Amino acid sequence: MNDSPERKFSAIGPRGLFSSIGVIALSQLVSGHALANEPGEEQLFRAEAYDASEQRTDLAIDKTMEGSCGEGKCGEGKCGEGSCGSNMRMDELAMVMNENKDNIPKDCPQISEDIKLTVKAGREYSLGHNGTIFGFDANEWRVSPCSRITVTFINEDQVRHQWMIHGLPKYLYPQGMYHMELNGEGQVTGTFIVPSNEKNYLVHCDIAQHMEKGMKAQLVVGKGDGNLPSIPGISGAYIPPAE
Amino acid sequence: MIKIKYTSSLSVVVVTLLAGLLGACDKATYEPYKEPPPSIKVEQGEVQAFCPETIDPTWREAQTIAGVEIQESRLCLPDNPSDIAAFVRGTNNLTMTQLMGTQLSTDALVKGRDLDGDGDPDEIHIRLEVVELNGGSPDSSDPMTTFEIAPGVKPGFWAFAPKTRGMATENFESNVANSMLRLPSPTIRVEQGDKVTITLENSHYFPHTIHLHGVDHPYVKENGEGNDGVPQTSGPMIMPGQRFSYELQPRHAGTMAYHCHVQTGAHLLMGLIGLFVIEENRPNNPVQTFNIGAGHVRHPSVAVRESYDREYDLLYIDTDTELHNIIRSSNDVRKIAKSMNREYKLSESTPDYFLLNGRSFPYTLRESIIVTAPDENVKLRILNAGTSMLALHTHGHKPTITHYDGVELAEAAQVTRDVIMVGSAQRVDLKLSTHNDGLHSYGEGIWLYHDHTELGITSNNMMPGGNIATIVYESYLSPEGMPKTQGVSLMPYFSPEYYQRKVPVWSASDPDGQLGEPQGE
Ligand SMILES: [Cu+2]
Ligand SMILES: [Cu+2]
Repeated sequence: MNDSPERKFSAIGPRGLFSSIGVIALSQLVSGHALANEPGEEQLFRAEAYDASEQRTDLAIDKTMEGSCGEGKCGEGKCGEGSCGSNMRMDELAMVMNENKDNIPKDCPQISEDIKLTVKAGREYSLGHNGTIFGFDANEWRVSPCSRITVTFINEDQVRHQWMIHGLPKYLYPQGMYHMELNGEGQVTGTFIVPSNEKNYLVHCDIAQHMEKGMKAQLVVGKGDGNLPSIPGISGAYIPPAE
Repeated sequence: MIKIKYTSSLSVVVVTLLAGLLGACDKATYEPYKEPPPSIKVEQGEVQAFCPETIDPTWREAQTIAGVEIQESRLCLPDNPSDIAAFVRGTNNLTMTQLMGTQLSTDALVKGRDLDGDGDPDEIHIRLEVVELNGGSPDSSDPMTTFEIAPGVKPGFWAFAPKTRGMATENFESNVANSMLRLPSPTIRVEQGDKVTITLENSHYFPHTIHLHGVDHPYVKENGEGNDGVPQTSGPMIMPGQRFSYELQPRHAGTMAYHCHVQTGAHLLMGLIGLFVIEENRPNNPVQTFNIGAGHVRHPSVAVRESYDREYDLLYIDTDTELHNIIRSSNDVRKIAKSMNREYKLSESTPDYFLLNGRSFPYTLRESIIVTAPDENVKLRILNAGTSMLALHTHGHKPTITHYDGVELAEAAQVTRDVIMVGSAQRVDLKLSTHNDGLHSYGEGIWLYHDHTELGITSNNMMPGGNIATIVYESYLSPEGMPKTQGVSLMPYFSPEYYQRKVPVWSASDPDGQLGEPQGE
């Protein structure tokens, strides 16, 4: 797995304890009792909203959950891998994690440019790449260093898809990740800011086998630092270094 | 043995032989003595702990979460109580904080109105996805989204899973599948008379369906669409990226099954099969809709609690790794389809791993031991999803067969025996009594239960392996869920090298290596 060097392989890991990506509050991670009764808190939906997901009604659920770990603690100690200051908004259709509209990376004097991207996802976009089955409508996007990027992510399939970018600075993006996810067909918009270094960032859908079967792409900042492997239409499989 | 020198004459040979046997031959010759090679020390390799320390011990305690009573589960790897609460309440009836304690999507399990006014929801909407475990990658020979069935063993699998959100792995630094994504496909539980909708959201790269096996369901839905999940007779397959809803209102309670009916010989064996349990209707009876990985039911239904102290779901399946590893043979979906559907020969299948609830021994001891105590009744729901007959033997107990294929047997037909035959796709409900009367139980202890067809207790032809698990009385169980065994050490079985057939099987009991590995072999 050269494309995401931070991903390590471990034989046996915690079973479920850190299973939510970055959205469990710290106290819950420590106690494992994520589902405590909390009187007074609103129910997510009421029972009358049975099958609301088919109706796609807007229930205006827009809660932000903040963790409590700061810079430097990510990935170690009791913060776990899951909860370093993550923020997210989620409703019944979509989820946006680690959105950043205002925090300018410390190496950027200012935001260089505001960029709007539209990304479409679905089986239809695999048609141009033989042997794949899911896809994005583009497998590469080029942006300038220190730009602020607003992505409108459109899912045309009837299943979940994600647009997840890795390798961003961890002091701004817990786990170095910015993530958008749609529960089915629909669209969602979110914003993040890239730092000044020229780099190719991995973009993918992390649902099992979606990346391998077509949903792999790269965000190139400036001139970038070289293509990632196995991007449909751009690069072939990774060749390990000779021993 | 003395070696006899040959002569050209047969009769002389006979005479010489006879003489040799009588000990009268002083002409015998022999090779010079040569000391056989010494035994070499075979490295055991990395040995895993019986129970990973990362599990929160409070998960094992009896507790009430979001108003849901959850039974104690003294296993090494108990199910996460937060998940169980969500499976009983429904994802729509949780607070955001409660939902965040699970990895379920907001619409994974929507529980609606109480139609008969008896205090529990009767409108149940279940959303399933299809997940690939230990799949391929163009950039790595290591399996992706891993699920280990035994130390170091990762054949490719497919499973139905409740709709989740976020990453497929347990965190960004890990390649291990998150706890919702595992084998076997989860047990689905509903109440008799519930209006159930099951939506299959096909997140996988091949077409699939859901066929309800033994579950009361109409052949067509109210809108005329096929509802039986058989592509050749009922309706089209659910193609990748598509969604389809099945509708049912089961009138008959019992232990049933569900499975994919596309290229069934391959898709079912890849793991797309699970138990489907319809619980008898009772007042105030919200049931635990999913039992992830089958196993211990921590929130049994009212009807089960009337007659039983504990309940376990047991799903058996066998695995021919030649079939399962096709998904890693290429990244091109066309080549995978060709290899699986047109080249692989089921008639030449040789199953080499035998799984109980998705794992083989010794991992079965972490999560599929039947914990009990004296004078209890334990309900076991068994599905044989494998290709051959299961001859399930319970040491120390003679359970009683109460149901076949979800139909209760007349009392006189309820046989009590210690080898229970379960054919492919059959379900058997057992009542395991732990009353120490010399018939139903011989008393407290650690008693194996396993397939007695012998092949079923092997892993890659190594023993002990396969679907061996144990019935353990609480007095024989450590606080960490480890059976207090008093035989040979179990630790060698927790090393990948053992099941790679590299280690002499008695190493741990034979420090001098007298039964070990001769040098140069
Ligand atoms: Cu996807
Ligand atoms: Cu299938």
